[in-house]
Amino acid sequence: MVYRTVLAAVVAMAFVGADAAWAQAPAHKILVESPTMKAGETMAKEYTPDGRNISPPMTWSNLPQGTRQIAVVCEDFDAGNPPPWVHWIIYKIPPTATGLPANLPIDTAAPMPSEIAGAVHGYNGWRRPMYRGPAPPAGKPHLYHFVVYALDAALDLPPRLTRAELHDAMKGHIIGQGEMVPTYQRN
Amino acid sequence: MSSDEQTRIISRRDLLRGVGVAAVAAVAPSTSVALDGAIAPAGAAEAVQPAATSAVRREAYENLTAVEADALEAIVAQLIPTDANGPGATEARAVHYIDRALGGALSSSRQAYSAGFAAFDRYCRMTRGASFVELSTTDQDSVLIDVESGSATGSGAGFSGSSAQFFGMVLNHTRQGTFGDPYYGGNANYVGWDLIGYPGVRTSVSAADQQLMEKGALKPNHRSAYDNEMFNKATAGNGHGEHQHGD
Repeated sequence: MVYRTVLAAVVAMAFVGADAAWAQAPAHKILVESPTMKAGETMAKEYTPDGRNISPPMTWSNLPQGTRQIAVVCEDFDAGNPPPWVHWIIYKIPPTATGLPANLPIDTAAPMPSEIAGAVHGYNGWRRPMYRGPAPPAGKPHLYHFVVYALDAALDLPPRLTRAELHDAMKGHIIGQGEMVPTYQRN
Repeated sequence: MSSDEQTRIISRRDLLRGVGVAAVAAVAPSTSVALDGAIAPAGAAEAVQPAATSAVRREAYENLTAVEADALEAIVAQLIPTDANGPGATEARAVHYIDRALGGALSSSRQAYSAGFAAFDRYCRMTRGASFVELSTTDQDSVLIDVESGSATGSGAGFSGSSAQFFGMVLNHTRQGTFGDPYYGGNANYVGWDLIGYPGVRTSVSAADQQLMEKGALKPNHRSAYDNEMFNKATAGNGHGEHQHGD
């Protein structure tokens, strides 16, 4: 019993430590929305491989003062080994942007829309620098965390960073954060 | 090529890395040429003879249906595209190779092709609203990514096993048809070997040839391995004591 208790405490501390290292939990909350998705509701097939698998439109507001750059990550904590499974990483988004238009290019040679000029994709869980939507195994719904980060510096980052590399690069620069969490399920 | 320019479904560079000289060696029996796997495609495009333009007239296929062949032609054109590096799988007639091989050495894959292409077509129509050949290049890329990654598996299209298995099979056969010995019906006009700078099978190599080889300057001989009497043909038979080349 003592062993179990100690083990549980160690495991809990490990998770807390990892969480703190990733997220920094900034106090400033960004409001994240989408014109075509709602938190807690099922995503349209259009944003999954059961449809055209295009990236969804996103909007955000209440960015903190001093925002110099924005990054967006979509991840599924119900998948991945270890979790999360990353569906989308896009960063170097200019601070003037108020969201992401739908259907961002999957061809990396194609330019980003003008309102997010300069933005680049990182590697998702399939090692592809693009958005790829939910493809969960049949069963329970999965939660898809679309997380928006506000950064206090215009980080000069190369494309194709992994989630871990992006978080390392953002460490100490996150001054605001917010997310919306729609779901998806296959039968 | 900048890092932002290199991604395709399977980038040409990835394919060449995956195929490299190993695939050539696999289909080209013993040779005394020392191949170090570092043959670069640079310059290969210039060495490539102008390939026949993409088939305008329909080829008479022996094993593939017309629908399967059309889809396969479009797929191989995406996997090993014709681009600034030179001709690709289309000009190599990779589909011709696959079609013929499905009646012989690859006959065990025939059912997988039938079932796979039926599911593939359903997947394209269900998710993108049209057959693969009717889709835009972007949507074709998107479909192939979903099939390759296995994301199409649970879509209800009816892939047997993972869609990634179907993709892997087609990719493997496309590589064979592009980079294998022309004797087997692909690698037409040696475009695949020229693409990766493979100078061809040689039974003897002089010191001067070796030096040229190391510089990547050895002129390709454009000969099948079986132009040499000493090599046994791996026939496209269906077993029964005949040699077979690998699937």
